Amino acid sequence: MEELILTLKKQIIEVLNLEEMTPEEIETDAPLFGTGLGLDSIDALELIVLLEKEYGIRLANPAEGKDIFKSVATIAEYVHKNRTK
Amino acid sequence: MSIAITGLGIVCAIGNDIPSVLASLRQKKSGIGTMHYLQSEHTELPVGEVKLSNEEMESMLNLDKGEAWSRTTLMGAIAVRQALKQANIDRLDGKKVALISGTTVGGMDVTERHFKLMQESDEMLSVISKHDCGSTTDDIARICGLDGAETITVSTACSSAVNSIIIGAEMLKTGEADIVIAGGTEALSKFHLNGFNTLMILDKEQCRPFDATRAGLNLGEGAAFVVMQKSADAEDDKALAYVSGYGNRCDAFHQTASSEDGEGAYLAMTEALAMAGLKPQDIHYINAHGTGTPNNDPSESAAIRRVFGDSIPPISSTKAFTGHTTSASGSIETVFSILAMQNGFVPASLGWEKQDDNCITPSTGINNIDIENVVCNSFGFGGNDSSIILSKTPHTEDEATAQYVVDVLAKDEIEDMESLKEIKEFVFPIEARRMGKLMKASCLTSMRVLRKANIERPDAIITATANGMLETSEQFLQDICENGEQLLKPTLFMQSTHNTIGSAIAIRLKCHGYNITYTQGERSLECAMKDAERLIRTGKAKTVLVGCHDEATPLYCGFMKRLGLPEPKMIDSRVILLGRKD
Repeated sequence: MEELILTLKKQIIEVLNLEEMTPEEIETDAPLFGTGLGLDSIDALELIVLLEKEYGIRLANPAEGKDIFKSVATIAEYVHKNRTK
Repeated sequence: MSIAITGLGIVCAIGNDIPSVLASLRQKKSGIGTMHYLQSEHTELPVGEVKLSNEEMESMLNLDKGEAWSRTTLMGAIAVRQALKQANIDRLDGKKVALISGTTVGGMDVTERHFKLMQESDEMLSVISKHDCGSTTDDIARICGLDGAETITVSTACSSAVNSIIIGAEMLKTGEADIVIAGGTEALSKFHLNGFNTLMILDKEQCRPFDATRAGLNLGEGAAFVVMQKSADAEDDKALAYVSGYGNRCDAFHQTASSEDGEGAYLAMTEALAMAGLKPQDIHYINAHGTGTPNNDPSESAAIRRVFGDSIPPISSTKAFTGHTTSASGSIETVFSILAMQNGFVPASLGWEKQDDNCITPSTGINNIDIENVVCNSFGFGGNDSSIILSKTPHTEDEATAQYVVDVLAKDEIEDMESLKEIKEFVFPIEARRMGKLMKASCLTSMRVLRKANIERPDAIITATANGMLETSEQFLQDICENGEQLLKPTLFMQSTHNTIGSAIAIRLKCHGYNITYTQGERSLECAMKDAERLIRTGKAKTVLVGCHDEATPLYCGFMKRLGLPEPKMIDSRVILLGRKD
């Protein structure tokens, strides 16, 4: 799980162009959207692409992302359970 | 002075001329269906195509074979010809004629077809001259014999065409033009079909605006143009309708989402009513923007409720007839609104069945109704929201007389990549995550010029750009070429429209004022400056931020070099802050 969390953080930094951030700066349990990191609906769409590309998980409805993308921890948990690659 | 509309021209999914479009509207016949002309992997997505091949359109226009015409140009030329024919103006020579077209996709359909080949050989390289939006307007003028006309291209994404009509009305009022042909044209392209698909707002079924089960929009294509004259110049019996009011405002909320309370839409409708001197109860029909996306419809509904309170007139979205024709939708729906008024009917909001409490209740069609005034809404990415009021009889008396003198308050420019580092002074790193060099440069010059003049927020923001968001557009297109039409990046598409630049500045400044983008090749800045000066002279704005922003990429520079053209600068951003001289 720890390894997956680190990989996810690196991937998030890459796909969202968070150039000046390091994986250590993203707290695993902190909110990614709104008051936390401050991501928005377009970032959520990028995360949906990331899930499909890297883990073979396809979300048909962007609303499904709401619970999954709460924090890096929730993403990791979802990926762990549902990954097909 | 009122503005009379004396000619209409249209080509869209429900018909290739006025009579066939009117028949489809009355018979509630949608034009949305399976993809036939567009070559895309996404055949599962229904689209509202114009039922004509490029070859058929070329022969309708008597064009020589062999030239790579954009569908945007061909559809535009067909609509312009129809409008001119109906207006039946004896002599154009000696008159100041303007052709104002709204488009965002421009010649992308041609570029995407040859993009790979253009990189490999010189064979198709010349089609690059047909890529930019301004070139499609110039080509339409040429095809339609409007050689002496001033060409102007407006690009505010999905509100482009209504903004063209607004600019045309202003130019007639100030006497800058005697006859205006204004509207918009947009061909379906693989580029924006995939772009909207990355935003996950395309419905795989026929769209259902305002319905509780709505799941997005269907893309469509088409063109519509209207001929406009001062009512004094139009013979009385020739006026089909009057443009009695309009408003252009910016939601200044998000690049691709509308605010919950529909602030931009509310301000645009309110301004249009005030200009027309009409009360909400004088409006008998609203042609809503109503795209069918989860986000647009409740936001627009909130704005309509704020303006009309408990007495909301019949409303419909006609997007389920045509699909969302993006940059052309504003003029296509202006034509629909005029047809509704002339023929006394409310077009149906097709597909609506289930009430959504957060949305207005649209009409499923009304016959034999007297409509005196229509509000037609048109909203675009970046919150470029515009509304227009069309009337059976003239209402407006406002004279756009020059009362004020224009002053240059401050200037700024950036021509080198090194300067972009200074962006940190104005933008947090997290905000910079999506900013390419053009966004950084335009933000930096704009913020610096306002600081120099000690102005927090201008009254209006006017942007000029020849090629718009070249870098992100190129990356998105390259991605499609190399990796196919799957797993593309929404971040690239959301920043591909020309009005990304001007609306990002508005969002940063929370500037809800007038906001428009011009793209007319080397004349882009000239178009923007004329508009800015008009706003100040006529008292509509006291301060206007005008920017001219363009970028290049190594690939684009290579194209120019191979064509023997001067190499463009990698970044070129200049701003002028204009003010009213006291």
